[in-house]
Amino acid sequence: MLMPRLTRPLLAAWGLLALFLAPPLMAQDILIPMDDAQSDHLKAYGVTFWALEREVEVDWLLNFRGGSFLMMREAEIEAELRVRGVTYEVVSGSQTAAIISEVESDAANTALVRLEKPPRIAVYAPEQTLPWDDAVLLALTYAEVPYDMIYDDDVMEGALDEYDWLHLHHEDFTGQFGKFFNYRSTPWYIEQQRQAEMAARRHGFRKVSDLKLAVVERIRDYVGGGGFLFAMCSGTDTFDLALAAHQTDIVPPEYDGDPIDPDALSQLDFTRTFAFHEFRPVFNAREYEYSDIDSGPPPQPLRNPAVDYFTLFEFSAKYDQVPTMLTQNHVATVKGFIGQTTNFRKHLIKPNVVILAEAPGRNEVRYLHGTFGEGTFTFYGGHDPEDYQHFVGEEATDLSLHKHSPGYRLILNNILFPAAKKKKQKT
Amino acid sequence: MVRATKHTGLGRDIKAPRARPAGENLTETHRRYAVTIAFPSLRAHLLLGLLLLVLGGQRAAAQNVEESQVGRFQLAESFLRAAQYERAIGMLEDLYAESPGTHVFYERLREAYENVKRYDAAIALVDEKIASESAPTSFYTEKARLLFLKGDEASARIQWQRAIETNPGSPSVYFLVYRSLVQLRLFDYAIEVLEDGRKAIDNQTLFQTDLAQLYNLTSQHGKAVEKYLELLALNQNQLNYVKTQLGGFLNSPESISESIEIAENGVADEPLNRSYRELLAWLLVEGDEYREALEVYRGIDRLDREEGRVLFSFGLIAADGGAYDVALEAFDEVLARYPESASAPEAMRGLAMMQEKWAETLGEQVFDIAGTRQERNHWDEALETYQRFLIEYPQHAQFPDVLRRIGSLQQDVFFDLTAAEKVLTEVVARYPQTEAADQAAYDLGRLAVTQNRLEDARIQFSRLLTRLRTGDLADLARYELAQLHFYQGDFEAADSFTRAMQENTSTDTANDAITMKVMLIESMGPDSLNTPLRRFARIQLLTRQREYDAALHQLDDLMEAFGQHSLADDMLMQKADLLARTGDVEAAIQTYLEVPLMHPTSFLGARSMVQAASLQARFVSHDEALDTYQRILLGYPGSLLIPQVREAIRLLRGDGV
Repeated sequence: MLMPRLTRPLLAAWGLLALFLAPPLMAQDILIPMDDAQSDHLKAYGVTFWALEREVEVDWLLNFRGGSFLMMREAEIEAELRVRGVTYEVVSGSQTAAIISEVESDAANTALVRLEKPPRIAVYAPEQTLPWDDAVLLALTYAEVPYDMIYDDDVMEGALDEYDWLHLHHEDFTGQFGKFFNYRSTPWYIEQQRQAEMAARRHGFRKVSDLKLAVVERIRDYVGGGGFLFAMCSGTDTFDLALAAHQTDIVPPEYDGDPIDPDALSQLDFTRTFAFHEFRPVFNAREYEYSDIDSGPPPQPLRNPAVDYFTLFEFSAKYDQVPTMLTQNHVATVKGFIGQTTNFRKHLIKPNVVILAEAPGRNEVRYLHGTFGEGTFTFYGGHDPEDYQHFVGEEATDLSLHKHSPGYRLILNNILFPAAKKKKQKT
Repeated sequence: MVRATKHTGLGRDIKAPRARPAGENLTETHRRYAVTIAFPSLRAHLLLGLLLLVLGGQRAAAQNVEESQVGRFQLAESFLRAAQYERAIGMLEDLYAESPGTHVFYERLREAYENVKRYDAAIALVDEKIASESAPTSFYTEKARLLFLKGDEASARIQWQRAIETNPGSPSVYFLVYRSLVQLRLFDYAIEVLEDGRKAIDNQTLFQTDLAQLYNLTSQHGKAVEKYLELLALNQNQLNYVKTQLGGFLNSPESISESIEIAENGVADEPLNRSYRELLAWLLVEGDEYREALEVYRGIDRLDREEGRVLFSFGLIAADGGAYDVALEAFDEVLARYPESASAPEAMRGLAMMQEKWAETLGEQVFDIAGTRQERNHWDEALETYQRFLIEYPQHAQFPDVLRRIGSLQQDVFFDLTAAEKVLTEVVARYPQTEAADQAAYDLGRLAVTQNRLEDARIQFSRLLTRLRTGDLADLARYELAQLHFYQGDFEAADSFTRAMQENTSTDTANDAITMKVMLIESMGPDSLNTPLRRFARIQLLTRQREYDAALHQLDDLMEAFGQHSLADDMLMQKADLLARTGDVEAAIQTYLEVPLMHPTSFLGARSMVQAASLQARFVSHDEALDTYQRILLGYPGSLLIPQVREAIRLLRGDGV
């Protein structure tokens, strides 16, 4: 056993240093600021989730320093915050009281939401590796938030009941295999198509579009029963497309072997959809677009990461807590990013849907939220908030280089919001 | 994988007409298929062309088409293009009623029904054809397809079976049904049909590639390999084709292992078939099973008396794949079995290189931290193999390179500077203008530094730099020149070299140059001769020359004389490094930990603690290391080393990162 001669003086010196660095003895809470003082915004969500898993109650201070988190001070939490590189402040009881008083004051558009239980998270994604990244998987993995991956078989077998929060990303619920017509000879496309066809037959469907419709119906029921759905990119519009086309065929023969229903347009049923209505599907198999819901990438002069951005709406923190939670950020404008589905045309959005963010001056919505039955859905356009235009086959984004990403923060707001304790409306 | 196939745009292969005379032999090309893509407008144009041909030249023929029918047909086409299906269908029905023998009217009407999903009407139309045609095989498959699209799979299957029964002894009938099934992506049923066809015709060589492709598409990789083996049994030259076809589907460990199993059975059944063995070896390499692949290549080499050529090529593949041990074995075997073969010299050089790689991978040392000679290891073997090469192949083109490699080993691994100098000098003298000579010149320069012949070193590096000007070796030589000036106290010259180097940040040496520049800026004074820095540079030279005791002694003197100089933290850090090099781990850890206490504002604080924690993790205990790492997080939250510290903590506590 090594016992250096100078160990005692060294320890004494380290003790003094620790004493110097240590916070006041009366300190009892940890504040995780989410404004510009935060060194890693994304990991902050992960630590908060980690604390919830350990039954530590967390207060989410909406609109206070970028949507900060307040929790009881424990050595284990502090160590974890340091290891994960998350900035935190130790605050005394009186400071905590002052913060809470400020947050709950009617004079400020701030509010306190108690987070109690970590949601069980499911990501709807195939086991097969596909040549593009999934922003939510990246965010959850980087933030170290645990999740399960489920797909068609699991959904059909009722697995959704086990989860509080479901995420859909670059998915095609219309059964057109992502409309990757130009990639139809690549191994990953063939494998994707084969797996989907096999799954369809396993569940007694002749066509993949029939299986996907059944999946969408299950998810719809899940949300209706109180589930939280978060969808990005093509997981948004294809979800509603599939629901609207439940009694017709909108899939071109290139994908399902039979023609589109000649009366397809008149047969669309918008009463079944979540967010959109009065839209028209794109019937051209070679056009990389599902419908006119998506306004596509910005017009050419604006198709530039330097000038393309969208703005977050501000809501009343005390009365509109859900939209406020979903828009917590340290910035008001977020840089744009393109996906197969990028922005939603405003006039095709149902009137009861809440718009959370939009592209200024373009009548295009980027981020929206609504309720269905007992649950809620949130749709977020674009593919990868930190890769302006993510191409097939490109490497996944390294989030350690984008620790403060406001675009990714919007995703992570969604995973915490189901943890919020339901409050009775003040009215 | 869907094979590249010439498409007409009509949904069918141009070389594979819809109906074929029974018994006609089918070529491979005819059997090809692809995912059907419909191009209605192209199809319509072709049909119209056919109609015009009929009208233009065949008036006297059986199909008597009126002039007005052309106009009506064109109008019907335009209605279809405008999506006015019902109006088009009405006109086409009239045309078909007037001239039921005109095939284009039938074809277009059936397609129009399909477009509006009036499958019953389309089926009734096909039924009429079946009733009127003497050879209705293709109409049965057509009917089956329509029934399937209608959703009546059971009835569809009856029609496909009926089609087969029209001529069950003909391969073309099975092929017709198979194409119809593939069009609907009913791959499993298509396999069934083709396998039944083989049995019925009693010919197991039929439909090999089609079946293989179907098995791949249905993830039955083993069966696909079976079919490809059948193909190779007939023609071994198809091996590259088979590899290409299989390659696209070997995208999971399961698919590879399944394929390997079948290929192994094939080799066991027909051990003399070289293409079988090559396919198996290729599959094993695809699955990163290099050792098993070596066995297979060994067999090929012996069976076909390849004199080590196959083994040598495989050795190169294994080396590229990082399987150094297997590559080593392959090269070794070439030498053992075929010492006179053409591959032998390259194999011997490859063997020595693999032995070096092995030693690096295993972290082997010739001397331990206290300077004690270790037991014989891969470094010794590499050196001996290179030396054997020199003896056995003195005229070989790689002789200078091997000689240079020996010199580098002697210098950097065995620390036998006399031997190294002799060898490297020989390379420079006997093989000028070669890459090996340049590298040897660089090594000789480094060697001169180690032997304290700094002027010789300067000449070597300067000449090399003048000769090369650009490139990695030139950058290294430039940095060495900067270091030489630094050791000799010529800080201005050292600074001018580092300035030139830091401009090109893409080079490996740029970081080192920047570090040196920072030290030069921060450590001048207090006297005009920059005595502390000059003496510190000298200590660094002694360290490089492995004169650790002398370096430590001089360092203690320097610390005593200039304990308050801005270099004091560097001195303490250097002392800790020297203690670690001399094997005094305990004192090294302690000294590293002193750096942040004695110099709390030094940028070396975090680095020294990381070094201490690293030694604690290796030689003391994980708990102590963890404690030190945690203190770094507390004391230096803004350090660039923090990500490394966090990762180390997670590794030590077993987070699985």
